[in-house]
Amino acid sequence: MLGVTTNLSVFRQRAINAKQVLRRDWLTYSMLLPVLVIMGTLVWGSLLDGIWMSFHEFDFLGRRVWVGLDNYAYVLGWDTFWTSLKATIIFGTVTFSQLLIALIAAVAVKHARFRDYLSALFVIPYTIPGLVSGTMWVFILHPDLGPIFPLLVDYGIINETIYWGTSGDTAMAVIMFAATWAYWPLAFIILTASLDGIPEEHYETARVYGASKVQAFFHITLPQMKGAILIAVSLRTIYNLTKVSQPLQITGGGPGFDTSVLGILVYRFTEGSQRFGLAMTVGVILVIVTMMFVIPYIRSFERDTNTGGVA
Amino acid sequence: MRLSVDTLTGARFDLEDLVFRSSVYLVIAGLAALVLIPLVIVVAVAFTPSSELFENPAVWLPSEPTTQYWSEGFVELQEGLIHSFVISVGTAVIALFVTIPGAYVFGRKEFFGKRFVFYAIILSLLFPSIVLVVPVTARWLEWGLYNSYHGLWIAFQIFITPFAIWILRDYFSKLPENLEEAAQVYGCTEFGAFVRVILPIARPALIAVGFLAFLNGWNEFLFANLLTTSSGVQPAIVVLYSTLHGGQGESIAWGILMAEAIIIGTPPAVLYFVAQRGLRGTFGA
Repeated sequence: MLGVTTNLSVFRQRAINAKQVLRRDWLTYSMLLPVLVIMGTLVWGSLLDGIWMSFHEFDFLGRRVWVGLDNYAYVLGWDTFWTSLKATIIFGTVTFSQLLIALIAAVAVKHARFRDYLSALFVIPYTIPGLVSGTMWVFILHPDLGPIFPLLVDYGIINETIYWGTSGDTAMAVIMFAATWAYWPLAFIILTASLDGIPEEHYETARVYGASKVQAFFHITLPQMKGAILIAVSLRTIYNLTKVSQPLQITGGGPGFDTSVLGILVYRFTEGSQRFGLAMTVGVILVIVTMMFVIPYIRSFERDTNTGGVA
Repeated sequence: MRLSVDTLTGARFDLEDLVFRSSVYLVIAGLAALVLIPLVIVVAVAFTPSSELFENPAVWLPSEPTTQYWSEGFVELQEGLIHSFVISVGTAVIALFVTIPGAYVFGRKEFFGKRFVFYAIILSLLFPSIVLVVPVTARWLEWGLYNSYHGLWIAFQIFITPFAIWILRDYFSKLPENLEEAAQVYGCTEFGAFVRVILPIARPALIAVGFLAFLNGWNEFLFANLLTTSSGVQPAIVVLYSTLHGGQGESIAWGILMAEAIIIGTPPAVLYFVAQRGLRGTFGA
């Protein structure tokens, strides 16, 4: 008898709880709804739709015609695609120059005065739209008109001006330089935040034990920044592999297709010709390539979770 | 504490310190030059009459500065700048309406599926959003969203939603724990507590995120270029692109182009620094 009443009251309690939870969650879910709609349709929905598109060709009325793996066969058998893939991966290595400058800058700023002003100054390139900074560099590095090359020739540093737009290697060097200039601040922001999180006592202990600044850097600073460095590398690699606006503005993908990173191919197929099937095929391959480069970093990040979440 | 350590270890550290200090400032001077010199060149060119520019390519400061390029640049960009402004404001307003309530529940509520949904949002930052431009362009053509303000307002949410949720969730979750309960004791409803207590406190972060969304709408080129035409709502940044690649060949008006670059590049830079204050401590910026 006693057992039955307890059971009943437990059920009643549960029913009340469920009702309360439902009532509370109703508000929660309705507040979440706009985000779910955007993420579900625009982001994940578009991605799935895009993958589906890569198995189709689009006729002149914009209707989808199923072609199976034809698009993939076409793209993989196409010389330009491989040139483009190579360009993408070479361009993707700007991650390391961005990271190196960011690391040096972060350490230097930490030990300097007026840190806030310096950080603000260093972030300027990143705030300028990529297409705008691309436009700037087109002029500044213009072989005849820009101030840099004539100056280098005048001082005898180089023999004659370099018409970098005519050769694949030099054109690539220029867009990589511009991308380094524009986006190292992003890695700098992440690294600075992490550097600020390292307790000062660690350095004091190291000094008591007679460690030099260089030793302190390699034994305290670097290990503690590992998590932030991995985040910076992953994020920068993703964005560098998919950068479009700067290369497009500086070289237009040329000469030939030597600086046509995969993003530019996607753009070309989408823009003029509206060959969405092919565009998306290149897009899917780009995602796969990006993940191949990024997943190892994310995995090693997960392995040491104690490095702390940063930015 | 520090002083005593220094005196204990003595002179060895002084020399090292001196070398270290000077290399720190050397590095900083180098980086500052790297950032500033290109900007100075561009500003100078925007004031340099073309006669001087073509006579002496390595000219750094014009002897007879002209403001002609600025007025010409403004005229050329006028329409584009208006489009850019409308696009960015609309993008920011929608972003705030979408992400504030969403980030709030992520920051302060427990609900079924929370982790899964949050990871789905953050994961989207980790794949290249450029691939989404293709399906979006195809759909926008189909649905009549192509070449319209609202088409761009909606499309730009792709970039902003995950980012804003990430920043705002952190901010909301760091607010004191029992704020809502206290408000409810004083007679607020649950939603009322959110609107009347939480939102006013979070204002700096909300403004910052609004600015970032504006900045994104202003800076974004690829979607803006593919989803608009020159007869429609083409923003200024796309105009800048077509000015350089419009096929005029050698006769590019560099002075105007540089003035235009500065005109488009300045608002986001200024906004970023205003936004940064509100973000301090939440995004580590």
